[in-house]
Amino acid sequence: MLYFEKKENISNKSKLIISLVSLLIGIFFGGIAIAVVGINPFAVYKSLFTNAFGSWYSFSETLVAATPLLLITSGLILVFRMSVWNIGAYGQYIMGAIFSSYFAIFMPPDLSKPLMLSLMFFGGLLGGALWALIPAVLKVFWEVNEVISTLLLNYIALYVLKFLMYGSWRNPTSYGFPLSKPFPESAQLPIIFQHTRVSLGFVFALLAVIAVWFVISKTKFGYEIKVIGNNPTTAKYAGISVGKNIITAMMISGALAGLAGMVQVSGIIHFLQIKLNANYGYTSIIVAWVSYLNPFLSFMSSILFGGLESGGYSIQISMRVSYGIVGLIESIALFSIVGAQIFLNYRLRWKK
Amino acid sequence: MQENNFSLKAVNITKKFPETTANKGINFSLKKGEIHALLGENGAGKTTFMNILYGIYMPTEGSIYIDSKEVKIKTPLDALQNGIGMIHQHFMLVDSLTVLENVVLGMKNQGIVIDRKKVKQKLIEISNMYGLDIEPDKKVWKLSVGQQQKVEIVKVLFRGANIFILDEPTAVLRPQETGPLFEILRKLKKDGKSIIFITHKLDEVMAVSDRISVLRKGELVHTVNKNDVTKEQLAQMMVGRAVLFDFDKKEQHFQETLLDVKNLNVYAESGMKIVDDVTLDVKKGEILGIAGISGNGQQELVQTIAGLRKASKGTIIFDGIDITNKTPRYVAQHGINYIPADRIGMGLASELSCIDNAIMRNYYKKPILSGCVINYKQAAVHTQRIVDEFSVAVADIKRPIKLLSGGNMQKLLFARELFEDPKLLIASYPSRGLDLAATEFVRKQMISIRNEGKSVILISEDLDEILSISDRIAVMYSGQLIGVVNAGQVDKNTIGLMMAGIKLEDID
Repeated sequence: MLYFEKKENISNKSKLIISLVSLLIGIFFGGIAIAVVGINPFAVYKSLFTNAFGSWYSFSETLVAATPLLLITSGLILVFRMSVWNIGAYGQYIMGAIFSSYFAIFMPPDLSKPLMLSLMFFGGLLGGALWALIPAVLKVFWEVNEVISTLLLNYIALYVLKFLMYGSWRNPTSYGFPLSKPFPESAQLPIIFQHTRVSLGFVFALLAVIAVWFVISKTKFGYEIKVIGNNPTTAKYAGISVGKNIITAMMISGALAGLAGMVQVSGIIHFLQIKLNANYGYTSIIVAWVSYLNPFLSFMSSILFGGLESGGYSIQISMRVSYGIVGLIESIALFSIVGAQIFLNYRLRWKK
Repeated sequence: MQENNFSLKAVNITKKFPETTANKGINFSLKKGEIHALLGENGAGKTTFMNILYGIYMPTEGSIYIDSKEVKIKTPLDALQNGIGMIHQHFMLVDSLTVLENVVLGMKNQGIVIDRKKVKQKLIEISNMYGLDIEPDKKVWKLSVGQQQKVEIVKVLFRGANIFILDEPTAVLRPQETGPLFEILRKLKKDGKSIIFITHKLDEVMAVSDRISVLRKGELVHTVNKNDVTKEQLAQMMVGRAVLFDFDKKEQHFQETLLDVKNLNVYAESGMKIVDDVTLDVKKGEILGIAGISGNGQQELVQTIAGLRKASKGTIIFDGIDITNKTPRYVAQHGINYIPADRIGMGLASELSCIDNAIMRNYYKKPILSGCVINYKQAAVHTQRIVDEFSVAVADIKRPIKLLSGGNMQKLLFARELFEDPKLLIASYPSRGLDLAATEFVRKQMISIRNEGKSVILISEDLDEILSISDRIAVMYSGQLIGVVNAGQVDKNTIGLMMAGIKLEDID
């Protein structure tokens, strides 16, 4: 009879192997899907890889996609460690984009660049944080399940964005397209590598990863997060205010997602529109899990998934493969990694 | 043949779990037409044994015979097919369905369309036969708890069971409802049905049973006829005689009151009143034992003192400060430290390291905390001191605490609380699950802080423990304080009777 035996210790090596194998399973099934439509999957993956990591420019595009993933994932790591399941980075990202765009659209364009960018920076943080505050308060005071409330708020955020884009924030000269007027130069994040689109936002992302690592492993707040995540009853017993910590962590998580939204509009798009790539909010959930909620692993995973995203755009053009393939690979990888948890905690044994 | 008098026989039943052996070589027999009480403290293995008979667990060793034939009971369905029916403590009924619907629910031989008329007729027949007074078309949610229990009995009867297992059936009933239940049990018995009646209430055992089996620490220690024993003897069998330690208890004169609890009322999550108007005090330098069968409000009482539950009424004054309904941290900082009963559930974070667990009481204070950063070097030093002074067996303090044995986890938790130098230590079942040496160690620690003039509240089911180290003993029964006695002036039987709800003045 086959049976599972509980493992005492989980090595980092087996974690890494399981992450990579999960991704490979995703790629394998993606390959089948590609083959079904009659295209050579090896050629597609080769092209995907070259377009993600093949040259300095394509790698820089990978970094561009990795930036919002890193920002959002760092925040998710914080709340996921607490066993609070924030699925609402999508909406928090949109809200951050809206709040920061307000300044770019309505402030006088001749405002000094540092002032304008600071306003947008804090606007992004605030927008995301406030949007995350709603489910946090609902959870703490009325025990509303955060999975449902954060998910539903995503749709509301999208409709708020649509409302603005089809209404008062629309650029009168956009021929009816739902776009705001373009941001002035003062509202655009500086590019840190010449001839690429990698903006100052990438530095924000690096700082966010380091900050989250520091908070979790060194501070009192991080300690309380760990205890709450492992055993809320014990946390209460130890005198930790569970509600206060949930609200704080949710707001930080929302703020970082909001900042990702700000980086996207201010660093890449340079105006506000309905399509903001808010799906980064969902992809980041996968990134966080593939990294086992470890900030440094999340850095590597973000680059990997960033490559998948940016390479995915390119193969759409060069190989005529739907971008949906990328979503397929990502979601199968998530399924595999969640399913593989059992191999982390148990080992398979054979007994007669 | 004598064998034929038995409707059920369990031979040499042993059930091992990874951590413990819950049942050890149990030999149990149930005669036709008898009410057989199964008596024992919580954790004595009653429930495990019943679950084996009902097919929820498979025994590690041993065999079960029904009407002299060996049977393998792998699922509750097997049990039912062998004529064994169980009435659970928590009813398995669907509130929004009628009595009739609940009865046929899950029965496979009813076909697709239920012949309501036929079922109803049979139900009324059964109901009249045993005086159950059932209305088949009434919705279950409209019934009282006592009536719902009758529905459970009808369910089992309808399925043709001959052997009834009742798991603490009176626990949910009001005192007035107990009599009618016993009446039904007697009728079932007269009809040749056999009944296993699980309880830890001695009065009920004496009132209704024919034979009594006593379980203690997983073993069946005695099977006796009711007429051959007294309540006192049963109480003694239940708690057994444990190894007694000699302790160096200093003579102390208790005067100053440290903790003063007045008219405390606490409600459980279920809305039931779980602490009922308790007034109690603890003097400086004494160990107050709280005895009681678990689930009678002791946990809730001390959790309320520790700030983990809210009192609906009453006051708690500690060392001159009102600590009623203050936060757990406020209470801890004023000198009350609490060792919870279920250390994995409350008190430890099992996935985190020994260090993280050891600093739970001082991570927010210097020298562990500087600014908002935890000094993990200092934390490791603190942990190492706990580990050394209390000789906790641990391979690496950086590894998860779940890798330690239960005894070592308890030592670490115990030490963590003692290192805070509390004025009052509340210890719930501090020696539960510990081996002899660790038990003695924990008890000696409690005595030694008492000798330093500090106070201890000790909750335990182990009467030997309570009697040997407490100065006074408070006994709780169904949320109320039955009485407070001086440890030197009572014996175990008296406490045992008080634990069954009998007041001191009513004991001769």
